[in-house]
Amino acid sequence: MRQIFNALLKYKNTSLFLGLLFISFLIVNQRSFYHKSIFSAIGLGISSNLYSVSKGVSDYFNLKKINGDLVKENNKLKALELIYFQNQILKQKTLDTFNFEVTSAKIIKNSFNKANNYLIINKGYEDGVIEDMGVISTDGVIGVVNESRAHHSSVISILHQEIKVNVSFKKNGAYGSLSWPGIHPNKMTLDDISTINSVSVRDTIVTGGMSAYFPFGIPIGVVSKFVQPKTEGYYQIEVDLFSNLTQKEFAYVIKNKDLDEIKKLTSDVSK
Amino acid sequence: MFQSNTKSFLQFISLILLQAFLLNNVNLFGFLNPYIYLLFLITYRFDNNPTLLILIGFGMGFLLDLLSQGAGGHLIASLAIAFLRPYIIQFSFGVNSDISMGMVRGTSLSNRLLYLVLMVFIHHLILFIVVYFNLKSISIIFKYTFFTSIFSFILLWISLGFFKTRHD
Repeated sequence: MRQIFNALLKYKNTSLFLGLLFISFLIVNQRSFYHKSIFSAIGLGISSNLYSVSKGVSDYFNLKKINGDLVKENNKLKALELIYFQNQILKQKTLDTFNFEVTSAKIIKNSFNKANNYLIINKGYEDGVIEDMGVISTDGVIGVVNESRAHHSSVISILHQEIKVNVSFKKNGAYGSLSWPGIHPNKMTLDDISTINSVSVRDTIVTGGMSAYFPFGIPIGVVSKFVQPKTEGYYQIEVDLFSNLTQKEFAYVIKNKDLDEIKKLTSDVSK
Repeated sequence: MFQSNTKSFLQFISLILLQAFLLNNVNLFGFLNPYIYLLFLITYRFDNNPTLLILIGFGMGFLLDLLSQGAGGHLIASLAIAFLRPYIIQFSFGVNSDISMGMVRGTSLSNRLLYLVLMVFIHHLILFIVVYFNLKSISIIFKYTFFTSIFSFILLWISLGFFKTRHD
């Protein structure tokens, strides 16, 4: 113990300097957006590698459950394929005219208990995954790619208080924006639905076609309760998600083939 | 003792105000700003407590960044130079490094020049590295460090001249 104190006293200037340097980096990270983005890129590089190791170990023990899920999904796809064959639809032609491309990815880090949540997936720009692509799962929306490295990308979860997803009602197409109030990982708030539209409990919410991230019509959830304002205005609607974002293993990254064009148009308009 | 502490404190405050409100707006040739606040860290008595100097360096950089809306370049640069100063003194003054007012009197000109150049150059290098913080900007970091160092060096040398006459 005495030797530890002696060593501390001997190197007191160095340790004081290192401590203050650490505080300085915290301050820099806090004050400057540029430095923050560089630090987060370094952090993403380190943490994605660490998480893929730990995920590899824990996945081994989940293989049985995952196999079951995959079999189920295969069955569903097989049924769809048979329907396609039956209807003699030229699949390639359908795929070519569809505006979105799908890449499958594995989630190696998922968070859902913070105020702003991020995920890490194991596909990066070398696999064609770049910023601003939408990410979905088998039963709903997961988020939007935020930053991509060579083999990993970070995804802003829809459980993030600053992301808004354009959604619409399946029954009448009234559209609004879905956001997360930050409390329960299954409850979302739907804003901007004008009171001239009729709303009832159990109405299905799907993605709207107004955003470049997601194609129209992916089911997201159902209305669980809503409040009609006394005067004219907008409803306050609460939505229950179909998908359980706390138990996700796989994701599909959606690439909009026209994203560049749409972005260009948007930036032209905002000029 | 009290008098010299008050003097140091006033010097500290006036150098920060001078730097933040006047010298950060010089922009000679569009980008050159001299960093005169180093004068405090340079003339701090060589026999005073170095631990205190690290705290002073931290506080000085922090105040400057607050006043000039900087990201934190001054903070890290002046903290680092305050930590490195004993080693620089040791290196540039050698056996004379125990002369307490070595920067003002009692040492040879070449030692003082070496000390001043090292202090200014290392400080500016760290400052611009933190500000740009990117390997791709390495050429611009060295360019700014070089030209700003020359400018700061000239102004610091002139200010040190004032110091000397006042103390003699």
